[in-house]
Amino acid sequence: MKVLCGRVIRTILLFSCLLLLLAPLSRAEDTEQIFQDANDAMARGDLPAAITVLKKVPFSKTDDSGAFVRSRMQVARLQFALKDFPAATASTKEVLAVYPDNSEALNFLASVQKEQKPRYVVFWEDCLRFLPNLLKGAVMTITLVFCTMLISPLGGLLIALGRISRFKPFSVLCWFIIWLFRGTPLLLQLFFIYYGLPSLGITFKPFTAAILGLGLNYSAYLGEIIRGGIQSIEHGQMEAAKAIGMSYGQAMRRVIIPQTYKRLMPPIGNEFIALIKDTALVSTIAMVELMRSADQMFNAYFNVTALILAALIYLVFTTFFTFIFEKIEHRAGIYEIR
Amino acid sequence: MKSANQPLLSLKGITKRFGALTAVNGVDLDVCPGEIVVIIGPSGSGKSTLLRSVNFLEEIEEGTITFEGKEVGYVKNKHGRRHLDTPQKICALRSEIGMVFQHFNLFPHMTVLGNVMEGPLTVQKKGQEEARHIALDMLAKVGLSEKRDVYPATLSGGQKQRVAIARALAMRPKLMLFDEPTSALDPELIGEVFDTIRALGKEGMTMIIVTHQMGFAKEMADRVIFMEAGSFVAQGTPEDFFANQMEHDRIQSFLSRIL
Ligand SMILES: Nc1ncnc2c1ncn2[C@@H]1O[C@H](COP(=O)(O)OP(=O)(O)OP(=O)(O)O)[C@@H](O)[C@H]1O
Ligand SMILES: [Mg+2]
Repeated sequence: MKVLCGRVIRTILLFSCLLLLLAPLSRAEDTEQIFQDANDAMARGDLPAAITVLKKVPFSKTDDSGAFVRSRMQVARLQFALKDFPAATASTKEVLAVYPDNSEALNFLASVQKEQKPRYVVFWEDCLRFLPNLLKGAVMTITLVFCTMLISPLGGLLIALGRISRFKPFSVLCWFIIWLFRGTPLLLQLFFIYYGLPSLGITFKPFTAAILGLGLNYSAYLGEIIRGGIQSIEHGQMEAAKAIGMSYGQAMRRVIIPQTYKRLMPPIGNEFIALIKDTALVSTIAMVELMRSADQMFNAYFNVTALILAALIYLVFTTFFTFIFEKIEHRAGIYEIR
Repeated sequence: MKSANQPLLSLKGITKRFGALTAVNGVDLDVCPGEIVVIIGPSGSGKSTLLRSVNFLEEIEEGTITFEGKEVGYVKNKHGRRHLDTPQKICALRSEIGMVFQHFNLFPHMTVLGNVMEGPLTVQKKGQEEARHIALDMLAKVGLSEKRDVYPATLSGGQKQRVAIARALAMRPKLMLFDEPTSALDPELIGEVFDTIRALGKEGMTMIIVTHQMGFAKEMADRVIFMEAGSFVAQGTPEDFFANQMEHDRIQSFLSRIL
């Protein structure tokens, strides 16, 4: 009897020893199974199920395969994907409680906290991130606008005077310029000047090509507007100017053209507003201006804030110019007020 | 060569055509210094065209214009075709002949003073001070000194026309042309403009005036001319004209319509 008892006890002891020995092994198998199940759940698209499964991975001091950290970080990422930021934070902190120096957990916590910020704070931070580049582009846009605004009224006036000139070659040339530059897309003109002319041996820097294209195009448009303005001035004005002995040039300069200012301000203002936006086209000939900068930022960060900011800057410009042109129009017509 | 009875302006065979239409048909006219010639006639008879031809605002096809004893305004090119003289010459001539229009044609973007200064300043290239001085004199002459700093838009028709007269006078012209200076005015404003013209006449200004105001013609004119279909039909001193020429049917019917 005593002998039997002793054998049984020995057998039990042996089994339990074996079990103890085998225990870690079987647990490792369980963990792999858990990750496998989680992957299946994710493949099905059932993220909550994956989270529940992954949470089964227990904490173990002897665990050196990193399964616990791996599982909890995975949980945190899934919770993050589900936009449950407090839960994601909690899961990350579970890891940090055990391994305070884990860099993956620390980085992840930072980005979770950033996500938890109010939207306007994130927007503001994005603004600060994109603004320097966008403003650099905006400076180029404004430079292009100003240069074109200086060139095109002069070119336009010349073209207008040419159109009404009795000297045929001049008027035909001006008609041709208008016909050509109003009849083709600005984009095509820019391409031709920058990419096309080099094959004829004429090469321009991007900026020169941009100014040339915008300047010619807008001169053609303003030319027709200015011609209309000049011809809208009552014929008696030219006669009165001539009657006191003025030459054609003096009459134009002193009498006719000054009277067109008020009439020309609205349509020219319109053209210049269009110009601000048309400068975006020069981004296609290697110019980095506002549109191009915004595009670069958008592509680098895939962040729509860059585009919104660019739109706002364009709006600031167009609003400012609208306001200025209204003021000038009012000033130019001061003599009509009774 | 200048003598007292040499005409200031002498037109010979002035002919102006607009396509098939002959607006002025071989007109002869001598205007002596200090003389006031009034031209009347129905609408479309070529009165404006004649005045504008004198000022080279119309280029005439035939005839000669002699101003101060010199034939002026037209030259022949090497093919023998005549055309207007150089712009410089034409401008110089125009600056010696003042013109006042029916619709004033003041420069709306300049003040009253600016309008009157413009000729001396831009055409005669006088200094700002001198031009201003001349302009103020002329404004005083037409009685509008106090309006010097306003824009024409604020003036009445009569005031506008007086400013237009001052603007022409500022160039110190030797001859003044008036093309229906009161036709665009309300009746009560006609008087002030004629007062101004009358004062000019008293100063000895030589003038050709186209008008429908017969009272003024009777009072002021040294000579009245009736024009019809591009030609002078009748002329004479006012007394003569209104007394004797009344026999002329056309003139009578014209006058009866006007008066
Ligand atoms: N630029 C022009 N082109 C064509 N025809 C013209 C032109 N100017 C005037 N005419 C014509 O010449 C004729 C004479 O015109 P004008 O203006 O000299 O007449 P007017 O005597 O001044 O008449 P009104 O009393 O109406 O001013 C008219 O038949 C007119 O239609
Ligand atoms: Mg007329």
